[in-house]
Amino acid sequence: MTPKNEITAETLMAYADGELDAVTAKRVEKAVAADPALAEQVEKHRLLRTRLRAHFDPVAAAPAPDRLAAMLRSSAKVVDLGAARAARQPKPPRPVFWRNAGAIAAALVLGVALGLTSRTGLGGGPSFGAQSGDLVAQGEMAKALDTQLASKDGLVRLSFRNAEGNYCRVFETAGRSGVACKGDGGWTIRNYRASGAAEKGEYRQAGSAAVMADAQEMMKGEALDAAGEKAAVAKGWRAGN
Amino acid sequence: MLALLPRLRRFAHALARDAADADDLCQSAIERALKSRAQWEPGTRLDSWMYRIMRNHWIDTARARTRHGETFVGAEAGEDVGDRGDAGIEAAVELGNVGRAMALLPPEQREAVALVLVEGFAYKEAAEILEIPMGTLTSRLVRGREALMARLGEAA
Repeated sequence: MTPKNEITAETLMAYADGELDAVTAKRVEKAVAADPALAEQVEKHRLLRTRLRAHFDPVAAAPAPDRLAAMLRSSAKVVDLGAARAARQPKPPRPVFWRNAGAIAAALVLGVALGLTSRTGLGGGPSFGAQSGDLVAQGEMAKALDTQLASKDGLVRLSFRNAEGNYCRVFETAGRSGVACKGDGGWTIRNYRASGAAEKGEYRQAGSAAVMADAQEMMKGEALDAAGEKAAVAKGWRAGN
Repeated sequence: MLALLPRLRRFAHALARDAADADDLCQSAIERALKSRAQWEPGTRLDSWMYRIMRNHWIDTARARTRHGETFVGAEAGEDVGDRGDAGIEAAVELGNVGRAMALLPPEQREAVALVLVEGFAYKEAAEILEIPMGTLTSRLVRGREALMARLGEAA
């Protein structure tokens, strides 16, 4: 590097890595264009990255030792959205069975499944009702979706925004899981699945993993963090910024 | 987690001094993660959390080793990393050099290089995983890279 210019080694490295803001990057770009020594250094930085990747990537490409994979397979309890995304095969859209006429019947069934169960801690009337052909959350269920922050063991597991910008929340209750999205008419249930019999741990996990995969499909951007959820609660989960 | 395994193994190989140590490190980190999975907050990145666990475990192990009077980096460091069988002899020698050069870096530079250059994390993400300020990360990263460049020479 030539001493006369004011570009530090850190800045040049950050430039090579594409880490600079646009203004600084432009400044460095000009300096690099004017100084072959700088250009060479940038090239070296990029070459080093390439060489390291060439060296270590085969490790990631090679099959993992069985003992490691087995540890994870036997206790795949952390639902990993990234894994769900990676493992998901392209598939045709699932029929939404509760749409239209089905919604009312479904609401009755779910009212029994959810409204009357004590395990959810949700008392006070049916948790779901039919509205304009959609299944919507009611009573304590709606309140929980409005107010609870997502947690691993709570009723609400995850929050995110869908492609339309609406807030959606993954919930699990009484061995069933689903995704509820907030619209003008309240929380509309979009995907609803039996998580499987609660006493069969594996099946239960498979069901909620499937709902997590559904959520991943609907999600635009990242899931909300705690601060994002609090902000969303404060504005009543209404779309828009 | 299973989907993360290949990346975690790659990270372990970038940190550890040889392939056997790397898989031990990977196993211990997974055990730790499974035990403390309740501490992972849904909605946060699982990968960053796992990397942090592995890195902390690696540091602990390295410290214990130093306390017991072993050199942190053995003379054979890195020699069997990259010995993946199929590669030609030429390539194996070259790969061995990269592994050795990595193993010779001080731990704080090695972890910065591993996260940014090998795992492809942004500076900010790497700094968060290591729980250090950005400025610290970039200065370690630049020193680590300069040492690697010096050891590996030109395009060699």
